[in-house]
Amino acid sequence: MAAAEPTIEVERSWLSTAATVWAWLGYAFLILPTLIVIPLSFNSTTELAFPPRSPSFHQYRQYFSDAGWIDATMLSVWIAILSAGLSLLLGVPAAYGLSRGSFPGKTALSGLLLGPALTPVIVMALGLYIYFAHLGLSGVAMPIVLGHTLIAIPFVIVTTMSGMRHIDRNLEVAGMIMGGSHFYVFRKITLPLLRPSILASGLFAFLISFDEVIIAFFLSKAGNPTLAVKIFASIQWEISSIIAAISTLLTLLSLVICLFVAALLEKK
Amino acid sequence: MSGNENSRLFFFAFLLPATIFTALVLLVPLGSVVVESLTNPSGWTLAGYREIFASRLFRLVLVSTVEITLISTVVTFLIAYPIAYHLSKQTPRRRALLMMLVMLPFWTSILVKSFAFMVLLGRQGILNTSLDYLGLPGVQLLFNRTGVIIGTVHSLIPFMLFPILTSLLALNPDLPKVAQLMGAGRLRIFLTITLPLSLPGIAAGVMLAMVHTLGYYVTAALLGGKGDMMIASLVDLYTREILNWNLASAISVTLFVMCCLVLLLFSRSKALATVSQSS
Repeated sequence: MAAAEPTIEVERSWLSTAATVWAWLGYAFLILPTLIVIPLSFNSTTELAFPPRSPSFHQYRQYFSDAGWIDATMLSVWIAILSAGLSLLLGVPAAYGLSRGSFPGKTALSGLLLGPALTPVIVMALGLYIYFAHLGLSGVAMPIVLGHTLIAIPFVIVTTMSGMRHIDRNLEVAGMIMGGSHFYVFRKITLPLLRPSILASGLFAFLISFDEVIIAFFLSKAGNPTLAVKIFASIQWEISSIIAAISTLLTLLSLVICLFVAALLEKK
Repeated sequence: MSGNENSRLFFFAFLLPATIFTALVLLVPLGSVVVESLTNPSGWTLAGYREIFASRLFRLVLVSTVEITLISTVVTFLIAYPIAYHLSKQTPRRRALLMMLVMLPFWTSILVKSFAFMVLLGRQGILNTSLDYLGLPGVQLLFNRTGVIIGTVHSLIPFMLFPILTSLLALNPDLPKVAQLMGAGRLRIFLTITLPLSLPGIAAGVMLAMVHTLGYYVTAALLGGKGDMMIASLVDLYTREILNWNLASAISVTLFVMCCLVLLLFSRSKALATVSQSS
């Protein structure tokens, strides 16, 4: 097929070469900080030598044997699982309603539901801080779960809606013609076809919650921080290489989720 | 289909749980911030707003927040556009691979990225040790304005890049070809066809970048110096250190209004519609 296309590119001008070089410098700038923490995490002392003088897993052992770090990690895992579950439960039906329904006020409603993505997180954090103080809602995790669900919902809605655009609507119409109710068609046709998008948005929602700092910082109970809040606090005091080990683990988690999601959405 | 009314109610029912949740967890807390900013023990008052606008600290922080936002947005554009352009020229398969170089940093914790920049740019950091090794003078890139801008630009690039890429990919590939056949040079094609047709994407990217930066906290707190405090840090200072919720709320409402102004400014450019398409 390519032969049929008229090729008129004769010279590659210096301009396009410069643009390509500039783009590659951009890729390097993007990826470099994400990768630099990996070699640093194999330092045997708390000093951050690059490259490490005598590579070891010392910092990883430190992390895994410190009850404070492990407690914070487990708290973050629970909060992220609950937030991901809740944001799917609320976001997936909302995405279906927004992409298939037509009713007055739809634009305003989608503006409200996507609003948390455009509202400064610090403003939401202060709002939740004051709100929960008035409500007297206690508990370590629940206020943070509600806040994280709020900021994950727009991502779930947008990812699910984009998956919905790729579904052949004729399948849904056929289901209706054969006498299926709206709800039956949603459950038996739309939902199964949406599975990859739902899984992808759930994983992203997990990551959003797991890495979130500000809401967790405002709503954490003293002495019971999430992992992100504990990292934030300790970076402000000192740059130690245990943070490099934790950063490497966090980067690995992001990488696995990104690759998994890319593979999921590739299959479609 | 029997009754349009029925199906309307059906779809609305799907939206109801998320709507109630967002109303309770977004709108009510925002409302409490507004109420808090307008009240003190003696009742309704604008005293909080008068006090912050009279405060030298608040005005300094406001100015540095706006400066950081504008500079970061421009620098981000200069880096993100060439990447988006490069991505748009690739085959889908190669594009998917290169996209990983954008997606991974996008989904990496802001703490990891800030920590990496501290390690790279610090006095004893990798950059300065290398310069020292080469016999060159060191550079101060951390705990100052430059550090904040480097960190901010790094995390803004994906937000700017996605909508620009969407509008570049939507561009009819025949247009540049026809122009080339008619004898237009590459630069001319770019300036008269590609750039103008990607304007909606640029508008969306600039809007997202500005709204995000205005509320940034972690990057400035970790990579900036004393003179680089941003509005968000001030909210934290008043909430948790000074324990003055009235002033913290007045500052938050001011920040929120600034973000709304940015959205309003871009509302005529269809930027919001482009954002929702590109995601």
